[in-house]
Amino acid sequence: MSEFTLAPTASTAAPTGFSFDLTHRNALIESSSSTSSSNIPAKLPKALKTGTTIVGLVYKNGIVLGADTRSTNDTTVADKNCQKIHYIAPNIYCCGAGTAADTEKTTDAISSQMELLRLNTHSESRVVTACTLLKRMLFRYQGYISAALILGGCDVDGPHLYQIYPHGSTGKLPFTTMGSGSLAAIAVFEEGYKDDLEEGEAVELVKRAILAGVWNDLGSGSNVDTCVIRMDGSVEHGRNCVMPNEVGELRKKVRRSDVLNMRSGTTAVLGETFRKRMGGGVTLEDVVVTEMET
Amino acid sequence: MFGTDLTIDQDILSIGSSKHDAKSRPIGSGCLHAPPLDLNPTSFPLAPCPDPASFTRSNFASACGNSDSHQQVKFAKGTTTLAFKFDGGIIVSVDSRSTMGAYIASGTVKKVIEINPFLLGTMAGGAADCSFWERNLGMQCRMYELRNKKRISVASASKLLANTMSSYRGYGLSMGTMITGWDETGPQLYYVDDDGTRLHGRYFSVGSGSTYAYGVLDTYYRPDLTVEEAIDLGKRAIYHACHRDAMSGSINNLYHVTKDGWVKIHAIDVNDMHYEFLEEKANAMSS
Amino acid sequence: MSILEYNGAAIIAMTGSNCVAIASDNRLGIQYQTVAMDFRKIFRMNDSLYVGLAGLATDVQTLDQLLRFRMGLYELREEREMSPEVFTNMLSNLLYEKRFGPYFAEPIIAGLDEKNMPYLATMDLIGAISKTKDFVVAGTAEGNMYGMCETLWKPDMEKEELFETISQALLASVDRDALSGWGGVVHLITPEGVTTRHLKGRQD
Repeated sequence: MSEFTLAPTASTAAPTGFSFDLTHRNALIESSSSTSSSNIPAKLPKALKTGTTIVGLVYKNGIVLGADTRSTNDTTVADKNCQKIHYIAPNIYCCGAGTAADTEKTTDAISSQMELLRLNTHSESRVVTACTLLKRMLFRYQGYISAALILGGCDVDGPHLYQIYPHGSTGKLPFTTMGSGSLAAIAVFEEGYKDDLEEGEAVELVKRAILAGVWNDLGSGSNVDTCVIRMDGSVEHGRNCVMPNEVGELRKKVRRSDVLNMRSGTTAVLGETFRKRMGGGVTLEDVVVTEMET
Repeated sequence: MFGTDLTIDQDILSIGSSKHDAKSRPIGSGCLHAPPLDLNPTSFPLAPCPDPASFTRSNFASACGNSDSHQQVKFAKGTTTLAFKFDGGIIVSVDSRSTMGAYIASGTVKKVIEINPFLLGTMAGGAADCSFWERNLGMQCRMYELRNKKRISVASASKLLANTMSSYRGYGLSMGTMITGWDETGPQLYYVDDDGTRLHGRYFSVGSGSTYAYGVLDTYYRPDLTVEEAIDLGKRAIYHACHRDAMSGSINNLYHVTKDGWVKIHAIDVNDMHYEFLEEKANAMSS
Repeated sequence: MSILEYNGAAIIAMTGSNCVAIASDNRLGIQYQTVAMDFRKIFRMNDSLYVGLAGLATDVQTLDQLLRFRMGLYELREEREMSPEVFTNMLSNLLYEKRFGPYFAEPIIAGLDEKNMPYLATMDLIGAISKTKDFVVAGTAEGNMYGMCETLWKPDMEKEELFETISQALLASVDRDALSGWGGVVHLITPEGVTTRHLKGRQD
C-alpha cells in the first residue's frame, strides 16, 4: 500500500447502505410549506418512473421475458428507448417496473451478490437464489423500494419464472405480467397461453402481450424488447425486436424548413475562450499541499 | 359566457347593494337551469352549494392569494404597474408580461385599460377580472355622463369600482388597479383592489414587481419633475422591476394624462432599455 | 411549486459529429426574485467531460464539490482520467445512496469517450440513468426545451452549426420561462479542446 492510499473513511469507503443525512432537511422543506405562513415550496420532486408493461412465460424449452421501452416523468416521456430487462446472471434475467432507479439498482446489487456466490461455490446460479435475495432486500425496506419484478431463468432444476412485488411477496407461475400495462398484457396471455409452447409461438405471444400494453396503456410505449433463456444455457436478446413507433423514415420524408438550419453568426456572443485539451489527469504536482494546522 | 347576453334593465346606481345572501339560498337551487344573466354585476351565477364563497375559495385558491396547488385553476398573474401624479399631470407606466406559474403566457399584454378618453385603469392580478370589471366601469361611467350631462369625477368612478369589489368580497376576484384621470378638480389618482380598498395618493405601484418599482420611485420622485423627467422616471422604475422580477418583463407601455385627456407616450422593449441604461452608466463612470 | 423550481435553471446538451455541446442559463433566483445573473450550473470534470446540474442551488454546489473530490481521488489513485461512462455510474451511485433523502438536482453529463465519440447521459434526482444519442434537457424550462430540441436538432451537425442550434434552442426556451434566462453559456467539447461562449440573452 502506498502512503497515498487513504484509509477507508465514511466518504471514501464503498457505501454500505443508504444514507439518511438529508432526510431531516428534506422533511423540513416539505413541512414548512404546508404551514402556509412560509413561502418555501411544498411539493418534493418525483423520481423517474417506468409506467411499464413487463411479461414473462415458461415455454417448452425455457423462459421468454418481454418489456416495453418507455420511461416517464409525470406526463413527459423521459426516455423513448430504455432497457427494462436487467442482467442477473448468465442464465437469469429480470424485468423491472416501478421507480427506474430502484429497479436498476436493486437488480444490480443482486447480480453482484450472485456473481460473488458463483465464485465462492463454483457452480451455476439458481433462479430461486436470486428470487430469495431480491425478496429479502425488498421486504427489508417494507415496500419503500418500489420495484415490481419478473425474474426468469433456467438452472439445473429447469426453467423458473417468479414475480416479486415491492413489499417482498413472490409467486412462482407459468406466465405473468406486471406494471401499469399488466392488465392489457395478461388478457393476451390468458387467451393464448398453453403448456409446452414452441419457442416461436412463445416469443410471438410475448410480443403480442407487450404490444397490447404499448397501445392500450399510456404509461407504456415505444418498442418491444424480448429475452429468450433456453435450457441449454443459451440466451437470445431481442432488443427492439418490434419497433412499431419508429418515425425516423417518416421524418426523413418531411421537408425540413430552411429556417431550422442555423447559419453561423445567428446567435449574439459576448465572449469566447478556448481551452486546449491537455490529456492526463491530476498528478501530485498539480496539488497544492498545505500543512495541516495542529 | 358572461358578457354575451347582458341586457340593460336595472338602475345602474343600484350597484353595490348585494342581493345575494349566500346563506339564505336553498341548497341545490339555481344553476342547473340558470336564469338569463341580467346586467347587474352583483348577479353572476354562483356555485350551486350552501356556501358559494367558500366553494370559490377552495377551488380557485390561487386567485385568492393562497399558495399554488396542482388541482387549482391557474390565472394569468405577475405584473409591475405604477402611476404617479406630478406638476405636469400623471404618468402611468406598466410592463406587458403575463405568466401562468413559471410559464410566460404572453409578452404583449395591454395592462393599461383605456376606460374613456379621460380615464385610465391599470391591470394587476387576474387579467380577466381586471378587463371585465374595468370595461363594466367604462359602461357605468358612460351611463353617468348620459344621465348627468357631465363627465364623472375620478373619485366617483373609482368608488363605483370599489363598490363592485366590496359586493364580491370573498368570492375570489383578483384585482389590483389604479384609476387615474383628469376631472374638474384636476389630476387624480386612486388605488382600488379586490377586497374593496380604495386609496387616494400621489404615487402607487401594484403587482409582483411593485417593491422594485417603489425603490426607484421613492428615490427619484419629486412633484416638480418636468414631463421629460417624469417619463424617464416611469420608464426606469419599470425597467428595474422587470430586470429583477421574473414575472414582469417584455414591453413598457407609458401614458401621460393631461387636462386634455390621456396620450400614449411610448411602447419600448425592456431589453433595449437595459443596454441603453448600461451605456449611460458606462458614460457616467468614464466622465 | 416544487423545490426543484426554487432557484430556476435551464440546461441542454446535444451531440454533433465528433463533438458535443452543453449549455445553461445564468440565473439564480429565489422563487420569482432574481438574485444573480452569473450563476454557474455547468462544471468541468476534465478536458472532455462536463456536467450540468439543474435544481436546488445549494445541492448543485454541494454535488459539484463532492464530484470534484471524487474525481481528484480517482485520478491520483489510477493516474488516468475518468471516462464519461465511469463518471455516470459514480454519480448515479452517489445519488442513489441518498434514495430516501435525495439531493434536489438533476444532472446532465456531456463529453467525449475514449474513442472521441459523443457521450450524453442524464439521470433523475435519485440516479436512474438514461443515455441518449441526440439531446438531453433539464430544468424549469424542460417542456420548452424538449419542444425546441425536437424541432431544431438533426444528426451529425458540425461544430459551428451545433453551437448555433443549441444556443437558439436555449434562448428561445428561456424566453418563455420566468425562472430561467438572463444570458447563457455554451461549452463546445471537441477532441482538440473546449470552446466556451457566453451568450447575450434578454435581461427580463
